[in-house]
Amino acid sequence: MTTYRLQVNGKQHAVDLDPDTPLLYVLRNELELNGAKFGCGLGQCGSCTVLVDGKSVMSCLVPVSAVGGRAVRTVEGLGSVDKPGVLQQAFIDEQAAQCGYCIAGMIMQATALLEKTPAPTDAQIRTHMSPNLCRCGTHMRILRAVRRAADVLAKQAAGAKG
Amino acid sequence: MSAAPPCDEGRRRFLAAGGALTLSFAMPAWSAPGELPKSLDKTPWLDAWIRIEANERITIFTGKVELGQGIKTALLQVAADELRVAPGRLHLVTADTERTPDEGLTAGSNSMKDSGTALRHAAGQVRVRLSELAAARLSIPAANLTLKDGAFIAADGRRVSFGQLVTGQELHVRATPDAPPPAPGPKTAIGKSVPRVDIPPKLTGGRAYIQDLRLPQMVHARVVRPPSQAARLIAVDAAAVLRMPGVLKVVRDGRFLAVIADGEYRAVKAATALARATRWDVAAPLPTYPDIATLVRAQPAQPYPILERGVPGAQGQTLRATYTRPFQLHGSIGPSCAVAQLVDGRYTVWTHSQGVFPLRGALAELLGVKDDTIRCIHLEGAGCYGHNGADDVAADAALLARALPGRPVRVQWMREEEHAWEPLGAAMVVDVAATLDGNGRIADWQYAVLTPSHNQRPGKAGNLLAATHLAKPFAPPVPKPSPQPEGSGDRNAIPYYAIPNARVTHHFQPRMFLRTSALRGLGAYCNVFAIESFMDELARAANADPVAFRLRHLTDPRAIEVVRLAAAKFGWNSYKRPAGTTRRGRGFAFARYKNLLAYCALAVEVEVALETGLVRIVRAEAALDCGEIVNPDGVRNQIEGGIVQSTSWTLLEKVRYDAGQMLTLDWGSYPILRFNQVPNSVGVHLIDRPGQPFLGTGEAAQGPAAAAIANAVFDACGLRMRELPLDRQRMRRA
Amino acid sequence: MNQPRRRRHVGRWLLAACIVIACVAFAIMWRPAIAPLAAIPTFDQTRIERGANLARLGMCASCHTPDLAKPFAGGKPMETPFGIVHSTNITPDNDTGIGRWSQEAFTRSMRKGVSRDGHLLYPAFPYNHYTRMTQADIDDLYAYFMTRPALHAPARDNQMTFPFGLRPLVAFWNVLYLDDAPWQTDPKQSAEWNRGAYLADAVAHCAACHTPRTMLGGPDLSRPLDGGEADDWYAPALNARSPSPLPWTREQLHAYLRSGIAEDHAAAGGPMQDVVTHLAQADERDVAALAAWTHSHLAQAPARTTPAQQSASLPAPKADDPDLQRMQAGYALYANACARCHDAGRSPSSGAALPLQKAVALYDPDPRSLIHIVDDGIAPPDGEPGRWMPGYETILTDEQTGALAAYLRKYGAGQPAWPELNDAVRKARAP
Repeated sequence: MTTYRLQVNGKQHAVDLDPDTPLLYVLRNELELNGAKFGCGLGQCGSCTVLVDGKSVMSCLVPVSAVGGRAVRTVEGLGSVDKPGVLQQAFIDEQAAQCGYCIAGMIMQATALLEKTPAPTDAQIRTHMSPNLCRCGTHMRILRAVRRAADVLAKQAAGAKG
Repeated sequence: MSAAPPCDEGRRRFLAAGGALTLSFAMPAWSAPGELPKSLDKTPWLDAWIRIEANERITIFTGKVELGQGIKTALLQVAADELRVAPGRLHLVTADTERTPDEGLTAGSNSMKDSGTALRHAAGQVRVRLSELAAARLSIPAANLTLKDGAFIAADGRRVSFGQLVTGQELHVRATPDAPPPAPGPKTAIGKSVPRVDIPPKLTGGRAYIQDLRLPQMVHARVVRPPSQAARLIAVDAAAVLRMPGVLKVVRDGRFLAVIADGEYRAVKAATALARATRWDVAAPLPTYPDIATLVRAQPAQPYPILERGVPGAQGQTLRATYTRPFQLHGSIGPSCAVAQLVDGRYTVWTHSQGVFPLRGALAELLGVKDDTIRCIHLEGAGCYGHNGADDVAADAALLARALPGRPVRVQWMREEEHAWEPLGAAMVVDVAATLDGNGRIADWQYAVLTPSHNQRPGKAGNLLAATHLAKPFAPPVPKPSPQPEGSGDRNAIPYYAIPNARVTHHFQPRMFLRTSALRGLGAYCNVFAIESFMDELARAANADPVAFRLRHLTDPRAIEVVRLAAAKFGWNSYKRPAGTTRRGRGFAFARYKNLLAYCALAVEVEVALETGLVRIVRAEAALDCGEIVNPDGVRNQIEGGIVQSTSWTLLEKVRYDAGQMLTLDWGSYPILRFNQVPNSVGVHLIDRPGQPFLGTGEAAQGPAAAAIANAVFDACGLRMRELPLDRQRMRRA
Repeated sequence: MNQPRRRRHVGRWLLAACIVIACVAFAIMWRPAIAPLAAIPTFDQTRIERGANLARLGMCASCHTPDLAKPFAGGKPMETPFGIVHSTNITPDNDTGIGRWSQEAFTRSMRKGVSRDGHLLYPAFPYNHYTRMTQADIDDLYAYFMTRPALHAPARDNQMTFPFGLRPLVAFWNVLYLDDAPWQTDPKQSAEWNRGAYLADAVAHCAACHTPRTMLGGPDLSRPLDGGEADDWYAPALNARSPSPLPWTREQLHAYLRSGIAEDHAAAGGPMQDVVTHLAQADERDVAALAAWTHSHLAQAPARTTPAQQSASLPAPKADDPDLQRMQAGYALYANACARCHDAGRSPSSGAALPLQKAVALYDPDPRSLIHIVDDGIAPPDGEPGRWMPGYETILTDEQTGALAAYLRKYGAGQPAWPELNDAVRKARAP
């Protein structure tokens, strides 16, 4: 066991763990964050998606010893039930969930896209979201929610300029 | 015109009478006069369903559970509407063997029909009772009181609230069979797209799932499973595993082998090490066959005739076809999970099982204890779509809680475990033949469906996976088919069309070398695929438009209306294949789920690329009639989801195995639909029927989607695909 | 004296020479248009089926079908040292495809790299291989392509680096590299080998990736099958210089070419994945022939001793390693991120992962393939089942990937360090 210092959603944490513990388990068990989920542990479904230094990663594949000082962001860092972030609000507005298990991962994957490509085409959204699986068939609403969030962000940016 | 009686016993008697089965179910209520609606009949006390406290807190109790279908919100809407309060005022408690009514399983699209109807009835009677109490308190006739926001108000302004009226046992009265009068004033909730109450916490990291449960002193366990069901455990050398950091115990009982550790990933690693330290002998290889039809036909079957109408042997043009469906997975995105704890001889099991009461019975038998020493509490899991690993993992957790009393034991199935061991969607073979008369109408219909059990739910301990691995194993009970119209493998095997002579037989296979059980729709997915594909084949032989051909054979006006609506929204009659693009085609399908519940018609346009084998829905337009709509957006969500999920089943999914083991163990080996293959657009058009019974929607779209796709593929490229799935390899070779 | 006259003579000779050169150049560069087809003929079903098989063996869809829903509609951008070229629409669309191409026009494009209207095609299209196809095979391909659905998809603009965009200049490339001598069988070899050799050279064009290229982008025929590249992946040598740590058997090659996996030996990654996807759909006997031919070359590699012969777990770095800190970092990454699938403790999902001492990428002279496998992983084609390795591009920093690669090179393969490894990682990840 070694002590690792992690920066998660802007806060510093120190955890004592075996070096090969995947980040997913650290987030869920040591830090008690519910967003990232165990879906496969194999990097095939994206339920565990979080952001590390702004890039989307499958946290089930990241050993805690490899994170270092890079900034980790999870869905908890985007907003809360009382103050949802733009993407979270868009998913609520579109009621883009059935069982909802995949959604936190979807939101983080979409966050990575919108932070890099603020005005994505529909084709870009589809391709970017492809690593994330949804078993309930909520895909149409998820795409609409990402589109809605992109439009909201574009309006905010235009408002800020004008 | 006759209404079918509500209970299974009555239906069996009705069918056995040998008369023609008339398909008219236009009844205003789900219960016969003089009988309480289902669920209330088992739990008639009003305060078992609704409790009101002095602090105005209103709690609703249901024996149903949230599976992601939005039932929590819909039930709150039903109760809120009867009580004329805003839905946000109510709290809902879902299935818990210690707190809620026993409503069996949340399955079969029956939740609105059973729990919704019961709650509506109970809440209505609670409202009436409260109005009588208010009238007495205020000395004003009940009819002169206005009901608003949980209080009764007199014309002179005096008011008394629900919480003030219920100080003791006022609601501990039995429900009576007569339906309560409709609630006064405008609806507060039913018919509105109330946002789902469970969504916001799920998006913001709130505690929502069984996987999020954390209890003090909780430990983590993983099970080491045999390579196949027939394998024997020869030897385990647990010594090295016991020395691994954090390992608390290795548990072995016969072939049931597990390790418990103080940290989750430590349990994962310990289980991997334990698996390597275990030797198995695969006693009997799994039988392999060249294709599904051969596999299914090779299993012994018992014939159950479920329809015998008219006289066979009509003259005309006869067509024959065979349709098949492989084994398929529930494939829950979150593998199954449970937590169990044994304290002072009492078990608490937190589970996402669809039926906590039946599960409790099975666990009691497994553990050799009385039912009332076990409490099963439902917490949401990922979408289960039927009988997945949820009950099995609860059994794992209970056994391990017994091995480590006092500590909550959490068992999380791994992805490979869920893929390999969940009860499968059953393989099916359909043989159908029909004869067209000189007027292009179906004169004769012969249909046979061969399939193993679609229901091996606990029930009995022998239905729990771990129970079959113990040193003193429980044998799985021999399954039996469920009678029509619920049916199992024969669900929706009887066509909803007016056909004068028809024979339908269910060839039930009590034994299959792979465990099969309920997957969303049960037999309806393949039966509707077969019937609706064959209707298209018949339509073409009769030189008729596929929609017109169906209308020719439908008598139920509600069915006719959904068919017309879907065709209109799609632009069926004005459809033109676009030039210069991929092969495009249109396809249509209709079904009424179980011939009793929701009506669904679907028109799709697909594009087909035979060189790559890719098939994709370009656009889909569905029409749906599910009786009185409680939450329109919730219904749309379910139908969209059903169409997209069925697209995945229909275009991609089949379980594979070889002599030694299952081969489809993860998403790489069992691909499901990804974003790049979803339709461009899916439209759902609802027909609301206020006053009509709730019909449920969770399973209405699956069968029609499969057939609509296959019919559209034929229209696009002239290939009639009768074997599911229409995967890329099959399309390339076609 | 006579100097002005001599200067006039020299001037005239120079002018004549320029005119001659200009005429020759023109003759080299210019091609006439072939008259457009009035209507597409009908074809025999057997021709079409043979053509389908040849299209699979020729990997046509690799470049011409970037969108699975639009077979052969083209539009795939391909990065070359000379700029970005887009594949064209080879469906029989009249306006944007080859709907107006006669058999003669099609043949000329395959043998000479000339479009119907006379413009020269960039040799990103491997006509310098297809030129050696038999006429019957070209005719079968014609039958296949002319019977596909016609898709409207206009050609995309290329972005070529000046002056390489000037199509007439390609003519000079052709002078150097277009050898249109017909295919010759080798009478000393079996029919199967010859079939394999023909397919490998004229149809599947293996050398296009596996033979190094000259500065001008042509095949370096002095070093056939010495190893080349595709899409920034290193394509290993297929001859005596094969880097494979273990010898290949014919059965392994056959399995590999059919499925992308030779159990416990190799897994196809990167551009090779597309090759095996195509071969999986081709006639099995043709794949067997390709395997026979490839094996005859690979079998020339001398036997060697490598860590691949052992099956132990990869070891920790030696205490006296001169680069100890970096090696330890790489080892930790291997143990914590890779070993759970690639080592003895690997889980059974997705099939067992290859023990890395057997991975040919570690033995390549060039680290690019290893870096790309680590970054991209290996995933089956859309919607088809297959083996799955996740990608680590966003998980590992450049430094971590470099340390991991360095560790694996030394302690997995026992090979000398790759020079400029960190630069290679950065370059491989540049967009």
